[in-house]
Amino acid sequence: MNQVIAALQWLADGANWSGPGGLLARTWEHLWYTALALVVGAVVAVPLGMYIGHTGKGRTFAVGVSGAVRALPSLGLLTLLAVSMGLGLGWAVVPSTIVLALLAVPSLLAATYSGFDQVPDDVVDGARATGFSELQIVGRVELPLALPLMVGGLRAAALQVLATATISAYLGLGGLGRFILDGLSVSDYPRMLGGAIAVGGLALAVDGLILVVQRLVVPRGVHVAVGPTDA
Amino acid sequence: MIRFEHVNKTYPDGTVAVADFSLEVPSHQVAVLLGSSGCGKTTLMRMVNRMVEPTSGDVWIDDDRVSDLDPVKLRRRIGYVMQSGGLLPHRSTIDNVATVPLLGGSTRRAAHARARELLELVGLPESVARRYPSQLSGGQRQRVGVARALAADPNILLMDEPFGAVDPVVRNELQAWLLQIQDELAKTILFVTHDVDEAFLLGQEVLVLRTGAEVAQQGTPAEILLEPADDFVHHFIGGSRRHLHTEVRDGRRLVVDADGRVAGVATDPTGPA
Amino acid sequence: MNLAWVSANWPRIWDLTVQHALIALVPVVLSLVIAVPIGWASHRSRLARRTLLPFSSILYAVPSLPLFVLLPVILGTRILDPVNVVVALTVYGVALLVRTAADAFDTVGLATRDDALAHGHSPGQVFWRVALPLAGPALLAGLRVVSASTLSLVSVGALIGVPSLGYFFTDGYRRAFPTEIWVGIIGTVVLAAVFDLVLVAIGRVLLPWVRATDRTRA
Repeated sequence: MNQVIAALQWLADGANWSGPGGLLARTWEHLWYTALALVVGAVVAVPLGMYIGHTGKGRTFAVGVSGAVRALPSLGLLTLLAVSMGLGLGWAVVPSTIVLALLAVPSLLAATYSGFDQVPDDVVDGARATGFSELQIVGRVELPLALPLMVGGLRAAALQVLATATISAYLGLGGLGRFILDGLSVSDYPRMLGGAIAVGGLALAVDGLILVVQRLVVPRGVHVAVGPTDA
Repeated sequence: MIRFEHVNKTYPDGTVAVADFSLEVPSHQVAVLLGSSGCGKTTLMRMVNRMVEPTSGDVWIDDDRVSDLDPVKLRRRIGYVMQSGGLLPHRSTIDNVATVPLLGGSTRRAAHARARELLELVGLPESVARRYPSQLSGGQRQRVGVARALAADPNILLMDEPFGAVDPVVRNELQAWLLQIQDELAKTILFVTHDVDEAFLLGQEVLVLRTGAEVAQQGTPAEILLEPADDFVHHFIGGSRRHLHTEVRDGRRLVVDADGRVAGVATDPTGPA
Repeated sequence: MNLAWVSANWPRIWDLTVQHALIALVPVVLSLVIAVPIGWASHRSRLARRTLLPFSSILYAVPSLPLFVLLPVILGTRILDPVNVVVALTVYGVALLVRTAADAFDTVGLATRDDALAHGHSPGQVFWRVALPLAGPALLAGLRVVSASTLSLVSVGALIGVPSLGYFFTDGYRRAFPTEIWVGIIGTVVLAAVFDLVLVAIGRVLLPWVRATDRTRA
């Protein structure tokens, strides 16, 4: 328990928060790696998921690929890419972002196509018969109704990426993982534990934030959909 | 006017949904496709707005072959009402009604003004405008569905069992209301139902369909009631169950059931009033 | 791939694979044993549901590497002790599986259980003879996810020096030797496949009636 107290003291020390290697800077780096990977992952997964969800084609393919990606150990992929790409330490963010983005893809993909899937058929049919073009059906009907589930997928993906971004420090990158690995190498336990607590806290904060967003994006009409008049 | 010319529909698995179907629905008339579920009546109706493409044959609207028209534009000029309402759950009533004018490029203000007119026309109070579909009763939802279908002032209305999901009391109310607004609007309506009473009440022309959208009998309600073409039609319209027969009352020949209720007026060429 | 290296180091590869499998095996088994009663409690009691389920998702949000270094302090173990990794992975497994278990018991439904009670089952018998077997397929599916994620996370332990296939990642990275990293990745994937096959086989034996539905879902 003394070590926990030492770690909390380390966290409470303002000197550890400032400067380029301080907690604040490391937290921003950590969030930056996470956000970058989520954006890259979303650019791949969301359009693909929308296509699969709208057309119903390629579902088996998506399930298979997602399963395969999930079975791959991130640390292995991270080190393999870093070694094989031979970009050097300065560009370690490239293999790191690829691996983290890859990690985000299965959750985002599954959430997107399930979100589109659960839009009732008669709503889509009604929109089509009313004269919505396919693009308008996707953009104005399916997307808003799928959004809560998609944000749920974003939440899962963000947590996974945030957690794994800790490991990116192994490639010499910044982020909160630095405190853990550096502390470990010189047996500075307060620093190591302080970093660990900081990552846990950041994960919980991001989780809570996305949870709030998820509540906000539920379309109003759907929010009240479980009313007594609903058959 | 809607015209079906030798229309066929065969699905890839070989199921024949429609075999050589032809029909002309004159403008401002209500034609009813009557048949049990799976007979192909909905398939036929959905060919008019190209929700289903026929395997062969053509559907015409006035002088346009629908297959020559852009499906999205075509659908915007045809009103469509479906059983479940098919309203967008994330849009308020007024936005649902304003959908088509907005898609067609109207301003939001103009579309909402039009939608307000329509809500009044379909007999819904102003207070409903801001509610979401899930907050409406079944009957209100169907009225909103009709309002949405009328929003672009289409000549043609396609109605797919629009009153099938509401309780009998509300259904009767909606049927009477539809007849009333049709008096005013005079749309060309293709109406699909499996409810015999509804078909004879609303239809000026009724087609009784067997499986494969084969026409068992076509005629005015009175013709079908009085002279069912065969046993199938006789049974389907409940002739044997209801003991339909004709009686002369007050100088008019009426179709009357076993309880003495009038099911139709045999001499009125436009069907029962 | 440098196959000469693989054959020269085969004993070490085998050794670390076995270690990896053993470290993963305990959390997979323990998470089932712990999650089922918690899931059952969450199904039966609203209070349990409102406290245990959110708590488990909070646990799941804590990243693995920090947990590996935090646990020695909490448990009083040495940092290199594999027990830390085992406990951390058990925590994740339980966190993942509790919700699955609660949902599975919910879908078994009151009707089935009332029916069983009416037939003269005691509440205990209802759990063992009705609820648990009916929740079996969903639990199995959840356990398969736990198994895959556990096997993948074991290698992270290599960063704090706990021996597993993850050693090949850190060592291969230090030496810039891709073959070694490939061996680690392939080893992990093969282990994941073997674990999955074993779980499916156990499922076939314990839940023979699932076979038909399983095939239609695949």
